[in-house]
Amino acid sequence: MSMHMEQTVQPPVDHSVSYPKFLWRALRAATDGGPLFYGSMTILTIVALLGANAWAKQVVHGMAVTDMTDHVSWGLYVANFTFLVGLAAGGVMMVIPAYLYRDDDMHDVVIVGELLAVAAIIMAMLSIVVDMGRPDRLWHLIPGIGRMHWPISMLTWDVIVLNGYLLLNLHVCGYLIYTRWLGRTPNPSWYVPFVFMSIFWAFSIHTVTAFLYCGLGGRPFWNSALLAPRFLASAFVTGPAFIVITLKALRARSAFQIPEGAIERLLSIVRITALINLFMAASEVFVEFYTGGSHTASARYLYFGLHGHEELVPWIWTALGLNAAAAVVLLSKPLYRRPGVLVAALVMTFVGVWIEKGMGLIVPAFIPSTLHEIVPYVPSATEWIVTAGIWAFGMMIYIVALKIGLQAMSGRLVRSDLPPAVGAVPQEAE
Amino acid sequence: MTDRKKRRTLKILGATLGAGAFARAIAPLSALSETTSMEELLQQHYQELTPKDLQRVLRRLEAETKRDYGVDVTIEDVPPLEGVQFAYALNLSICIGCRKCAEACHEENNHDRGTGNSYIRVLEMDQGSMDMERGRTDYDHTVPAEGKFYMPVQCQQCENAPCVTVCPVEATWQEKDGIVVVDYNWCIGCRYCEAACPYHARRFNWNKPDVPAEEMNPNQAYLGNRVRPQGVVEKCTFCLHRTRKGRLPACLEACPTGARVFGNVLDPDSEIRWVLENKRVFVLKEELGTRPRFYYFFDE
Amino acid sequence: MQAVLLKHVVQANAFVAHVVVAVMSVLGALACTLGLVACSGHVSAEPDRAGAESPADASRSSDSPRYPVEIHMPDVLRGIRTGTVDSLQRPLLAPCGSCHASGAYALRERNDPPVQGPHAGLSFRHGELRCGACHDARRAEALHLADGRTLPLVEAMTLCGQCHGTQMRDYRHGSHGGMSGYWDLSRGPRVRNHCIDCHDPHAPAYPRYQPAPPPPDPRRRPRG
Repeated sequence: MSMHMEQTVQPPVDHSVSYPKFLWRALRAATDGGPLFYGSMTILTIVALLGANAWAKQVVHGMAVTDMTDHVSWGLYVANFTFLVGLAAGGVMMVIPAYLYRDDDMHDVVIVGELLAVAAIIMAMLSIVVDMGRPDRLWHLIPGIGRMHWPISMLTWDVIVLNGYLLLNLHVCGYLIYTRWLGRTPNPSWYVPFVFMSIFWAFSIHTVTAFLYCGLGGRPFWNSALLAPRFLASAFVTGPAFIVITLKALRARSAFQIPEGAIERLLSIVRITALINLFMAASEVFVEFYTGGSHTASARYLYFGLHGHEELVPWIWTALGLNAAAAVVLLSKPLYRRPGVLVAALVMTFVGVWIEKGMGLIVPAFIPSTLHEIVPYVPSATEWIVTAGIWAFGMMIYIVALKIGLQAMSGRLVRSDLPPAVGAVPQEAE
Repeated sequence: MTDRKKRRTLKILGATLGAGAFARAIAPLSALSETTSMEELLQQHYQELTPKDLQRVLRRLEAETKRDYGVDVTIEDVPPLEGVQFAYALNLSICIGCRKCAEACHEENNHDRGTGNSYIRVLEMDQGSMDMERGRTDYDHTVPAEGKFYMPVQCQQCENAPCVTVCPVEATWQEKDGIVVVDYNWCIGCRYCEAACPYHARRFNWNKPDVPAEEMNPNQAYLGNRVRPQGVVEKCTFCLHRTRKGRLPACLEACPTGARVFGNVLDPDSEIRWVLENKRVFVLKEELGTRPRFYYFFDE
Repeated sequence: MQAVLLKHVVQANAFVAHVVVAVMSVLGALACTLGLVACSGHVSAEPDRAGAESPADASRSSDSPRYPVEIHMPDVLRGIRTGTVDSLQRPLLAPCGSCHASGAYALRERNDPPVQGPHAGLSFRHGELRCGACHDARRAEALHLADGRTLPLVEAMTLCGQCHGTQMRDYRHGSHGGMSGYWDLSRGPRVRNHCIDCHDPHAPAYPRYQPAPPPPDPRRRPRG
């Protein structure tokens, strides 16, 4: 059926009636599932609620419940934020082949990447909210009623690009799902420009987040022009890795058709970006250690320990080991063809980048401090619980959105006055 | 159909349970409603307050201090003086590292007693080296120690201040007398300024400051030494509640050796001008281009 | 700290150490270390000879009258503490002349046994100087400059300055020696420390002492 024909055939729709109906139907689809779905949602809800509770206590008692100090003034929350922005940007690695190169396999499942971006951005924003000393003053950031220090402060850029990226992806996913539910073919002029914008935007969110750090002259560990490229490279490792894990899970646990071509394409992206990421890490390590001097104190602390303090050494070597091992596995067909090995390698590189970009990037910039004092930092129980809560909440959003999105895209979630598509409603997503 | 109905009932039950649990989870937040008034929540930026609004805010803050700390304090708005640009210089040859300045700062500025906070940290360094990495702030022996010199560091009131640049809500800015101030009632507590400052000059209120009533300094300023709220950033203001009334900063008065020189650089007869013109002064981390208003020098 | 200094008592021959014991007991090293805040509490309100003018309105303009810069006058320059206090709890001083009425007295030499009497405990560590280098042998209340001109005890700073020229220059420009009060003299006065507030003239090296406690470990703060 051609676009033109459909538009002439379709009767006009009153969106004010059909959209609420769609939402209601989507809610039902999102909350239907089997024991695995209900079980995992219950566990995630409990973790999310524990996180909310820990955060509420932190707001009341003050951030003294964290292990942060005036010396290490950003910790796990900002580390997690940085990683999640990368995860969100990484989702675009499905959009580029799908739309730019018209990869049909990818086109069928591109919504998995877009929904991951939505979930990851929400998690990233929550990570910032929990890091704020005064979340009650969030409105100070809103232009018009607050005082947004734009364009001078990089943080305001980050607020803009993150919100923009969230809206773009919400619009694209929402529009596609809604039109599928209506039983229509989406009108490209309503979403394709936004898809292309989101590609540009994905690069911008991670570039701006890197600029947040690398523009600070007082923190030599961050003050490197390689930071933004490194951020992008590692983002394009974690995003596709996470999506491949999702696709594998969907294939094992649901009735959705997951084309092998999409997984292969994503794996080749991970393979290359993982190597680029390792190469850039090696470049930075070379410059730090070959140059020497006091500006390398943070790197020395991170990799080898400084003045008897070695808190981060096991973290970073674990990360490097995981990343290197994963890169080897991903490059060796006989290895990754074995059952379970591929997913294990993807999990390894995911965890590796999480450490490298989190504890390995944020914390050492503060150790030693700008007056060269060494105050160690180990996330407190509150920080871990709040972070786990954010991840749990984000995963809830991701699972629910996937259920709605994939059912709609595969024609199983449609208006009741239209004939349902072939196949039963799948019971499980993830 | 009955199965569908049963499922629906279960879903509603689950949603209700979830909502209830969420309410319980964030219940601790209700404690805030007792201490945070709507007026405080909706307060405008300092620079947007009308004189009348400002007076009302000051009286409210005084009442809050009375409520929370049991002390009658005076909180004033102390504007910058015309024709004044402050600068500070510190003579490293005669500083003996006694930390009297840090102690005076702690008391003058109503710092949290629990954390022993102060805007000044004193580095003990090896003579013949300016390598801060070999400095220590935790020395606890008779001073001045053999072969050491001492370098107190506080806010350098940079002309090109990275902390001001990065603030996403303009909660911190440089006043025309050169002092970088914070509107403690506008700061959102993101601590980006703390990350940006190359001099470890900023402090965050990790908890509500604890200041015993009898130790409270009751002469306070809105942009200065009033007790800061929990969850916001603060910094050295060159004691603007004193210096904008012509008085010397507390750290200078506490200095037993006279290592500290403070004044108006626009006054050609001032002590600070004499030091800048006649001593070979330097600034910390000059290569960063922050242009500090805080200078260091050694006697020849 | 007193004890440390006392260890270095030098046999000062023919030195009528009227001033000396007073320095030790009144100021001493510890008193110096208490700094300006403490000193300013018992300032003698003698105007600074360096152009002190009378206070006037506090407006800031270049030709507005200026408040004075006062130099703290240590008791020791006006007499010796008797150990008693007056009705206002101020230490009672006995002028030098009350013992050294005759005017002339014997200055000690370096190898003489330690001084006894009211000036007992005097330590002497001031370079290679002898008592007679500064004290006028003829009058207990007087000092003398290198060129022989006599100088009243209360003008001791002039004597310090004849050798310590760079310090005196820095002092005059406000970059040596503690102070308190106003940086803006159109708004209020300032009080400066006297040389001997911090430097015992007989043992001028600035004493060592225990500093204020180091900043607490930031990770050991009260939580929650």
